[in-house]
Amino acid sequence: MKDVMQTSGTFQPAVIEDIQAKAASGLYRIRGWGTLRERRWATFDDLTFLPCSLTRIPLEGYREKCSTKTVLGKRFARKPIELEIPVMITGMSWGALSYNAKVALARGARTAGSSNTTGDGGMLMAERENSRTLIYEVLPSRYGINIHHMRMADAIELTIGQGAKPGTGGLLLGSKISDVIAKQRDLPVGVDQRSPARHPDFLGPDDMIIKVEELREATDGQVPIFIKMGASRVFDDVKLAAKAGADVIVVDGMEGGTGASPAILQEHTGVPTLAAVCEARAALEDIGLYGEVQLIIAGGIRDGVDAAKAIALGADAVYIGTAALIALNCNRPLYVEDYEQLGTEPHHCHHCHTGRCPVGITTQDPELMKRLDVDEGAERVANLLRAMTLEIQMLARACGKSDIHHLEPEDMAALSMEASAICGIPLAGTRKVFGR
Amino acid sequence: MAKISCGGRATREINAEIRRAIAAGERDIVVEDPGARHNLGVAVLEPVRLRFAGSVGYYCAGLIDGPRIEIDESAGWGLAESMMNGEVIVRGSAGNGAAAAIRGGTVVIHGDAAARLGVSMKGGTVLVAGNCGYMAGFMGQKGRMVVCGDAGDAFADSLYETTCFVGGQIQGLGTDAVVEEPSQEDAAWLDATLAQYLPGARRGQDFKKVVAGKKLWNFDKREWKVWQEAL
Repeated sequence: MKDVMQTSGTFQPAVIEDIQAKAASGLYRIRGWGTLRERRWATFDDLTFLPCSLTRIPLEGYREKCSTKTVLGKRFARKPIELEIPVMITGMSWGALSYNAKVALARGARTAGSSNTTGDGGMLMAERENSRTLIYEVLPSRYGINIHHMRMADAIELTIGQGAKPGTGGLLLGSKISDVIAKQRDLPVGVDQRSPARHPDFLGPDDMIIKVEELREATDGQVPIFIKMGASRVFDDVKLAAKAGADVIVVDGMEGGTGASPAILQEHTGVPTLAAVCEARAALEDIGLYGEVQLIIAGGIRDGVDAAKAIALGADAVYIGTAALIALNCNRPLYVEDYEQLGTEPHHCHHCHTGRCPVGITTQDPELMKRLDVDEGAERVANLLRAMTLEIQMLARACGKSDIHHLEPEDMAALSMEASAICGIPLAGTRKVFGR
Repeated sequence: MAKISCGGRATREINAEIRRAIAAGERDIVVEDPGARHNLGVAVLEPVRLRFAGSVGYYCAGLIDGPRIEIDESAGWGLAESMMNGEVIVRGSAGNGAAAAIRGGTVVIHGDAAARLGVSMKGGTVLVAGNCGYMAGFMGQKGRMVVCGDAGDAFADSLYETTCFVGGQIQGLGTDAVVEEPSQEDAAWLDATLAQYLPGARRGQDFKKVVAGKKLWNFDKREWKVWQEAL
């Protein structure tokens, strides 16, 4: 009789594979996508909305007006950005993404009345031309930094870090440093580009105050200055960013995506997005700037439900990245044989780092890129943004709100003690906020 | 020639007046009594001559494209950062991160440069008559860096394709930095460039040349030690 197969709880198959891969390569594992861990920490799924019944009156779910207008940068900028919806496209570089993907994201965001963001490789002119509202990222690497492009932007985002790997610079492997990307970034073709983690011209928060002011000078004080950070010591970092003069603060939680990063950073650094939004709000309240400095939350936002919960907890808007790529066909069962060549299959692919994206999104290969039709991709991105917005409105109306920005923590109950403690919301079935 | 006085005025106001003067057709502007204010002369995009008659603070001449900016005394951090083209001449010394991430143009420092000179350079030229601090040239991508005096520790660490020249002693090379003999072309370029911007500097053939060893460009497990020790 065959023995019952037993699997080690410590050395699971994935751990064995990881050890053997490192034994062969001598290097930490690199991959794309974001954390693959089973989410045992509190997430937005640990919250539920409390729609109106007798204590509050709902709005007609399919009919009554519920504003989604979102204004960002009201603190100092002369021209705050006004979006029709609170769901924005986060920064993803031309290099990590294909030309077609960048243009499709821009056009899709424009169609839906939203914004898109450049990334760690400078601005693509076609991106500007197809954008309604373009946010220009200023990253530590300064790849492609160009004052003329900066001045074409509707907002500047000074990026300190990202959720997938706070404290570590970008990574783009040589397979994606094509001739055109190398030229754009002033790098040798085929080099494994490991970006700096620190900005070249400032180090700490006091210097950053002057840097923010420089960016205002460079743009004549017209456009909002965002400061983006990976979620780490959020409570303190948000206060420092606000002190530095940010109009808008972006906090990117640990579920955030990446085109390529050491896997351990994706799995074992930063704090989850749910915790990040709560800490960020508390920080702004602590210094009396909640409402004056706008807050954008990013990191694993999947749908209008996640977005609505983030907004109810204090965000003014959310960024999506991976979800937008999924709208472009990421992990869709097309060209299945190419997924198999990468050693994966649709719905399980996280091989953005290889540059061999079967659906033409995270590649610089002209033939693979052709698989992503810009017009079709743009339409799917716009559809996703619109569907997410309708989901947010659906929840807001059920909670009796005529403006999605009126959602508040009191509109929700916690489904776990952890979420109750993190969010300061009573656990469902109790009147108790755990940890207080 | 237009004269702008800084006395008692905020940076925003001074920069606005510089822009108004340029828009009015002035091509030679002197800013008096800059008082080491930060962010002066940022994002000037016209081929004008702009002189600061004193010291300037952080980020002077940052994000410029085309002007010639002269600073009579010293400059703070981030001088000419991300400049695309033009000339920036500092008669005194410069603080950390001078010429950081420049994409083109020429930065000339008659005194010394502090730490992190020319980090992430993407083109252009930076010339220092005196010494430079630690980590100069870190992750330099393109362009040329010339230090006529001594260079600090971790010089030219993790280079891509920036070519560095040092006339004096190098306190310590950074990871993957390799010293080479300058070629005849290098020496000729140094002689011509120094004659233009820093006449009296030593001859080109007397410089050491430092370039990337390329061991950090793509990971190779046989070079593990280099990666372990990389900054």
